[in-house]
Amino acid sequence: MILSLSKSLTTLQQSHNKALVELENYKLLVDSIEDYAIFLLDPNGIVMSWNKGAERNKGYKSSEIIGKHFSIFYTQQDVDAQKPQKELEIAQRIGRIEDEDWRVRKNGSRFWANVIITALRNPSGELVGFAKVTRNLTDRKRQEDELRKANMQLRKQQQELQRLNDSKNEFISLASHQLRTPATITKQLLGVLLAGYSDKLTPAQTTFIQKAQSSNERQIFIVNSLLEVAQLDAGKVVLHKTMADLKKMVSDVIDEQSEIIHRRKQTVSLRAAANVPKVAIDTKYFRMAIENIIDNASKYTHESGTIKVSIKLVAGVVVIGITDNGVGIAAADIDSLFKKFNRIPNELSEHVSGSGLGLYWVRKVIELHGGTITVKSRPHRGTTFTISVPVES
Amino acid sequence: MRKILVVEDEPVLRETYELILSTQPFTVHTAENGEVALEKCSQNEYDMILLDLMMPIVNGVDFLKRFMPDAPDQTRVIIMSNLSAGAELDAAMQLGAIQSVLKASLGPKDLIALVRYDLGTM
Repeated sequence: MILSLSKSLTTLQQSHNKALVELENYKLLVDSIEDYAIFLLDPNGIVMSWNKGAERNKGYKSSEIIGKHFSIFYTQQDVDAQKPQKELEIAQRIGRIEDEDWRVRKNGSRFWANVIITALRNPSGELVGFAKVTRNLTDRKRQEDELRKANMQLRKQQQELQRLNDSKNEFISLASHQLRTPATITKQLLGVLLAGYSDKLTPAQTTFIQKAQSSNERQIFIVNSLLEVAQLDAGKVVLHKTMADLKKMVSDVIDEQSEIIHRRKQTVSLRAAANVPKVAIDTKYFRMAIENIIDNASKYTHESGTIKVSIKLVAGVVVIGITDNGVGIAAADIDSLFKKFNRIPNELSEHVSGSGLGLYWVRKVIELHGGTITVKSRPHRGTTFTISVPVES
Repeated sequence: MRKILVVEDEPVLRETYELILSTQPFTVHTAENGEVALEKCSQNEYDMILLDLMMPIVNGVDFLKRFMPDAPDQTRVIIMSNLSAGAELDAAMQLGAIQSVLKASLGPKDLIALVRYDLGTM
């Protein structure tokens, strides 16, 4: 009988030791965690335990805090509003409560915390206390606040940029209209002089006035270009589409420019496939775009050069190719070709009048039609512009 | 002889248009703004009015609003403006102008051609 008693005692002792070891392990587990404050409250909210995380987060040593009420961690406003008690009540009722709010450290400073309070019940269901796990989210909150501020800042900048862009477009429109008036007056007066309404002109006078006229026309052209671009940029261009025969349009444009082309001793040819259908386009704008490209082809090609224009249908897309054997464009310049105010200096560009706005405008117009314009070129060999417009927009 | 009224606030332009059109078999009157134009219209019946839009006192659109309801049948209004787009231009066309022309695109010969063509004396 003594044997079985001592055997029971040994088993009991062993279980006891095992339990102690387990307990020690748990204590070590909780105590070692530095990132989270994990501690016990009694049913009334008195702090019963402490860990490294709690000391780190809240600043109190365990000897300073055990036995005190946990409302010491709350801000004065929260204490006045009875938040600590309310949270315990909820935890007790539902089982747990999670909160994100300010908490107060020993030195009075605040930190943004994520807090979980869990009600602890024994096997019979009695409340024995609460487990409190607190995480310092100040860093995360600061990052979130900074992100939010940066976001607002970006949005404000975006609005400002939009406003500036609108301002710029308005200014260009206004200035262009104002500039048209004196340019118009000059045009009339020079025309009147040349038409002989006044006295007969000497040959020298005629030459001077013609040069002035040429310059004046250039002024008007630039102002018109500026206005067109400003309108495009402001999104004010509304396309009025009608079904158009592109072959006829291109052919008409070539006819119109043929006088100048032949004066330059250049030849121009048009090859159009039979199956090219009519396409819905804004005839006014599209025509201007084609005129621009063909005009460029002629301007940037030497005398006796050739310009070839082709129109064909490829997989539901009308493809217009304009190829010249002129000065060509260097690979490095191709990227900036369609930018505003870009003029690439080459052996012919000195003699070419232009504002540098043309290709920018052309591309925008083609894109508004749902199409694309691309360019291939070899310096001194020539250039091909390819305009593609879908039949169905 | 056909009567033309040129309504334009810019003095040099107004005088030059008058000079150009006077080389043709027309009687040419001028007005520096919409109000003067209305006065002239109350005393004359014009075959054509070349109308600027941006003018002081009474602008082109307001002139049309007051003039067009009781306008003589034969009066044809052509807008001559340096506006290439916009509400004023749309309004003017809605009020009964026959066409609009960009001033900056017309030299003396073009102006004459425009008027003669429209009046059918080409």
